[in-house]
Amino acid sequence: MPGVFVAVFIFAPEVEGLNELSRIFFFHVPIAWVSALAFLWSMAQSVLYLKNKRFENDSAADAAARIGLVFCSLATITGMVFAKATWGAYWNWDPREMSVFILLLVYFAYVALRMAVEDHERRARYAAVYSILAFFTVPFLVFILPRLFSTLHPSPIIDRGGNIMMDPTIHLIFFAALAGFTGLYVWLQNISTRISVLSRQKEEI
Amino acid sequence: MKPIYIVLLVNLLVWTGIFSYLLYLENKLKRIEKQ
Repeated sequence: MPGVFVAVFIFAPEVEGLNELSRIFFFHVPIAWVSALAFLWSMAQSVLYLKNKRFENDSAADAAARIGLVFCSLATITGMVFAKATWGAYWNWDPREMSVFILLLVYFAYVALRMAVEDHERRARYAAVYSILAFFTVPFLVFILPRLFSTLHPSPIIDRGGNIMMDPTIHLIFFAALAGFTGLYVWLQNISTRISVLSRQKEEI
Repeated sequence: MKPIYIVLLVNLLVWTGIFSYLLYLENKLKRIEKQ
């Protein structure tokens, strides 16, 4: 990760029109990617919980949803700072901003649901079903809805043909940042799940 | 504000968020140890 930060500030070329602000891309996009990955992992662990009834899967789903919420909030905040610098206002009611806001509400509701149910079995079962249903909104809110309307958000880096439209240096640094943040997520997921399992074991004693 | 300061601010926000989450986990662990 330190190498990535050095590369972002020293070697990454500026993008025409955005100048220095284009460097935000190396933090904002990997963070948004990690939040989608965490929500996907929460859904996968929820499916496993409903199949095997192992509380470790429920703990992993809970941890993943919370990490996803943290990263989704950070993606929203960093996006707001970028919006203020480029579009003149922190919040523009842009389809991309609205869709990520709805996504945040959907997953805050997941945490609220877990807090509202006291019985462990029922909480795990309700949360698993909710997590699976909630994940179905992710592709719609992240990939489909913002493309249905005109948006101020910079256009996607992958065109309709699946080609990546990026300068080779930016490409290299971007994928290094993506790998670094994914590694950070795996580490956070691991320790969060272990703490969550420990907490559950203490509750049962 | 100079654009490079905005980039640094974004960087600061990202790491503050991640460290806050780590602090939350540490507090959770301390609560478990106390029980």
